Amino acid sequence: MASSAATRTAAKAVKPIFSSDLQEARRRVRELYRAWYREVPSTVHVYQLDISASQCRDKVREMFDKNKHVTDPRVMDMLVIKGKMELEETINVWKQKTHIMRFFHETETPRPTDFLSKFYHGHDP
Amino acid sequence: MLRLPTLSRALAGAAHSKGSIPTSNNVRTSVRALSNLVEVFVDGMPISVEPGTTVLQACEKVGVQIPRFCYHDRLSVAGNCRMCLVEIEKAPKPVAACAMPVMKGWNILTNSEKTRKAREGVMEFLLANHPLDCPICDQGGECDLQDQSMMFGSDRSRFAEGKRAVEDKNIGPLIKTIMTRCIQCTRCVRFASEVAGVEDLGTTGRGNDMQIGTYVEKMFLSEMSGNVIDLCPVGALTSKPYAFTSRPWETRKTESIDVMDAVGSNIVVSTRGGEVMRILPRLNEDVNEEWISDKTRFSYDGLKRQRLTQPMVKDASGQLVNTSWEDVLTRVAGALQGVQGSEVGAIAGGMVDAEALVSLKDLLNRLDSETLCTEEIFPMSGAGTDLRSNYLLNSRIAGIEECDHLLLVGTNPRYEAPLFNTRIRKSWLHNELQVALVGHNVDLSYSYNHLGESTQVLQEIAAGTHPFCKVLSQAKTPVVVVGSSALQREDGAAILKAVSAISQNARASSGVEEGWKVLNVLHRVASQVAALDMGYKPGVDAIRKNPPKVLFLLGADAGCITKADLPKDSFIIYQGHHGDVGAPMADVILPSAAYTEKYGTYVNTEGRAQQTRVAVTAPGMAREDWKILRAISELAGVTLPYDTLDEVRRRLAEVSPNLVRYDDVEEANYFKQANELSKAVNQSLLGAPLVPPQLTLKEFYMTDSISRASQTMAKCVKAVTEGAEAVDEPSIC
Amino acid sequence: MISSLALRSLVSNAVRSLHQTAARASAGGMFVHRDTPSNNPETPFEFTQENMKRVEAIMNNYPEGHKAGATIPVLDLAQRQHGWLPISAMNKVAEILDVAPMRVYEVATFYTMFLRQPVGKYHIQICTTTPCMLCDSDSILEAIKNKLGIKVGETTTDKLFTLSEVECLGACVNAPMVQINDNYYEDLKPSDIEQIIDELKAGRVPLPGPRNGRFSCEPAGGLTSLTEPPPGPGFGVRADL
Repeated sequence: MASSAATRTAAKAVKPIFSSDLQEARRRVRELYRAWYREVPSTVHVYQLDISASQCRDKVREMFDKNKHVTDPRVMDMLVIKGKMELEETINVWKQKTHIMRFFHETETPRPTDFLSKFYHGHDP
Repeated sequence: MLRLPTLSRALAGAAHSKGSIPTSNNVRTSVRALSNLVEVFVDGMPISVEPGTTVLQACEKVGVQIPRFCYHDRLSVAGNCRMCLVEIEKAPKPVAACAMPVMKGWNILTNSEKTRKAREGVMEFLLANHPLDCPICDQGGECDLQDQSMMFGSDRSRFAEGKRAVEDKNIGPLIKTIMTRCIQCTRCVRFASEVAGVEDLGTTGRGNDMQIGTYVEKMFLSEMSGNVIDLCPVGALTSKPYAFTSRPWETRKTESIDVMDAVGSNIVVSTRGGEVMRILPRLNEDVNEEWISDKTRFSYDGLKRQRLTQPMVKDASGQLVNTSWEDVLTRVAGALQGVQGSEVGAIAGGMVDAEALVSLKDLLNRLDSETLCTEEIFPMSGAGTDLRSNYLLNSRIAGIEECDHLLLVGTNPRYEAPLFNTRIRKSWLHNELQVALVGHNVDLSYSYNHLGESTQVLQEIAAGTHPFCKVLSQAKTPVVVVGSSALQREDGAAILKAVSAISQNARASSGVEEGWKVLNVLHRVASQVAALDMGYKPGVDAIRKNPPKVLFLLGADAGCITKADLPKDSFIIYQGHHGDVGAPMADVILPSAAYTEKYGTYVNTEGRAQQTRVAVTAPGMAREDWKILRAISELAGVTLPYDTLDEVRRRLAEVSPNLVRYDDVEEANYFKQANELSKAVNQSLLGAPLVPPQLTLKEFYMTDSISRASQTMAKCVKAVTEGAEAVDEPSIC
Repeated sequence: MISSLALRSLVSNAVRSLHQTAARASAGGMFVHRDTPSNNPETPFEFTQENMKRVEAIMNNYPEGHKAGATIPVLDLAQRQHGWLPISAMNKVAEILDVAPMRVYEVATFYTMFLRQPVGKYHIQICTTTPCMLCDSDSILEAIKNKLGIKVGETTTDKLFTLSEVECLGACVNAPMVQINDNYYEDLKPSDIEQIIDELKAGRVPLPGPRNGRFSCEPAGGLTSLTEPPPGPGFGVRADL
């Protein structure tokens, strides 16, 4: 009991990253989203992607939506920082086409673990 | 009788002392008192050696390698390449180390100015007539001349004259000759006459025009011929099938075991990019020394042809069509679920590993069936396969070197087990081994006392009325070997009974110590001993008598059971790697891995467990045998309790611990009891003569599903029957 | 400079190719066997009755297990009977001695005096090694060539003569010389050799030996020592003994 109380006080006392409250954090997220949204056509052009801008925008939205359950301003700030870093790398062409296309990869199927699926899967020793 | 060829007499003294080196063969061991040792110095290091040891061997003992071309451990000393010249302190001239016995107090200088100068000079002469074609030479990268000229040769040539050229010979479809590269070390000549026992190679001419060849147009017809490729220190003799395919540094080497016969030769599988490029021998003093037979070496191209790569099922029209693993496994499992007990049976072929054998046995046992057979027959009356000593080559292959009288019964070891035959010849040559044969009169590459081919002779020897009994009773260490082909006959049990009686009599008369084994069985297929160890029933009689509804063929390609032996509605499952004899009659085909593609345990005819390793992945959708069986078991609802190789091997150890004690031979005994039991056999010998199935070289090449799929082996058969020109290909070089 | 170098290498090559062992010229050329109509495994060869007795006598000189030692004398006998050694004769010898045919081929190809190609009735072997050459063996060779109309290594069309050039035959003191079959004809002049060939053509065998009148290999200008008659017994012994 004492320990959880200690963590609670610690959490209260913790220093914010950028945003002092949820509103501010949301503003930052919107700003980032807008920046990505505007960057998409030039990304498609620069990286000569074989997909349309709207597909990319869908992907951007999907990536944002993936974290929409996050409500902690500190976590939101951190995700925004990461997003900005990605954006910077994309704008400055520090990436290559394959790195961009990795956003579009389907989730990999987990390796089979039971004997029969391993058997069907291939020459797994 | 004098058996050593004249060539080897050159240095009989030196040759006889070879036993002093622990690494060399034990044939020539001579017992000498310790005080007789001679002390010599190698570059100042003192060492005591037995008198008669050569300079080269003495140097080897202290770890100093002397360059050589003509000298070879297992061949007689020729001393004609002169590469091993070394300086002896206070000696006026350099001496040939391979041929000079050491004397007391000699100081051998292996790195002196004079020695180095001598080597350089010899190398210069060797290179004078050697073509500079290393870039297109198949020996490049594993060439003694190349290596040693880098080590000991000069950095420039003074030779401005024209080089000698020698015409190439056509000595068969296996060995490519580029005789201009030959440096006349005569290793091949000595191998042919001493080890292979085929005196076809020789040196003709003299001086600068001397050449190695057969003089007349002739093939080098031997089941061991491929070994001259390894022996040749230069690129004069290279492998024809391997020509221009890969370089030694490109290939990955996997140490494995051969399964073409029951000897279990140790091999190295060279692979590149998932393809077997060639097979080389691996040293194992107890099994194959450093030789392998031609079938072992050259049938690897059979691994790329006629393979089963996709699971198949027979459709409504009777055609086998490709399908998926899910589909076939469900069908097989469904078929197995519908049957119980003796309604399901299995036959294991000759190249099946122990892991697959145990999985199949466990699977069928779980279905309450005990109908597990091998294709090879072994008489079950008497002791049958209950006593292990009854079906093993108990004396071991190396044990032949200690034997003085050998009786072969109904076998042709030259083609059934070439490496075993090589041992016999070695012992015959160096130890005055007396060989006698009951069976068809065949060329065994050594002389033997042919007692006749009728079973009557066997009976007489067993009864002690035959004149040969006198000879056998003189034997100090007798050995009797019966070929498994003789036991395939109807009267197999009676033959085994007679042989058992002969062995028991010979043991009694020789007074040899208890540990000496007399009775031996020489098997022909790699899987037989493991199968018998596991309790498989030898022979398919049980299946013929009581045809099962579902028959599982595990690599069974000998054609023991045909569709006609089974009821119309029977369901046949074939699991194997080649579309050979067994596959066409099957309703379902399960493709599996061949011996180069799996970790497999094989027990050779001595009872020695050895394992193959994965050199390449199995082609297409083929899977390892035990995995297929494990998958079937799961779908059939009788899941086998092992998922990994280690777990299968643990199960093997449970069944028979010797199966996983690799490179170890489990002693078998109870000969007396086996003999007692055999007396109960109530079977009379048939009048038919004892004729083994492989009589000539032609029958040696194609005996199993791999060698039958091999083009090289087919060429060999064609060359043997129609002559070398029939398979001659235009030279690419 | 370059041309002179090229010339030198040309010369050296030419010299090199001139160097041929005697074996190549006479005994049978190549050291591999090619079946020909006159020399193949079916060429009939069988030892005559009396030669078979000789073969047995030769083989009895060697202990049991060492019969291979008789290879050279038996091959020689075969050659004397047949004139030269067809492959069938070598096979026969191998069969008699119970050795592999290859072991006999090895011996037969090593020794230049085993002739593996047909030769004429008279095999003229002329020595052209240094001492004979200095005594003008070239003129003898020329004379033979002109007389018979053949070159070295060839046989006359009537199968009577074969000419071959050989290395030293050990009769340097009587140079120049030729060997015709087993006979040495020594101290020759071109006229001598022509006369010898005429005699042989006529079917007579001229007397072997020196042609300049000296006895055997005595000094050409008469004896220079041991000229007086040999002293009798007791020569140089103390009187009181």
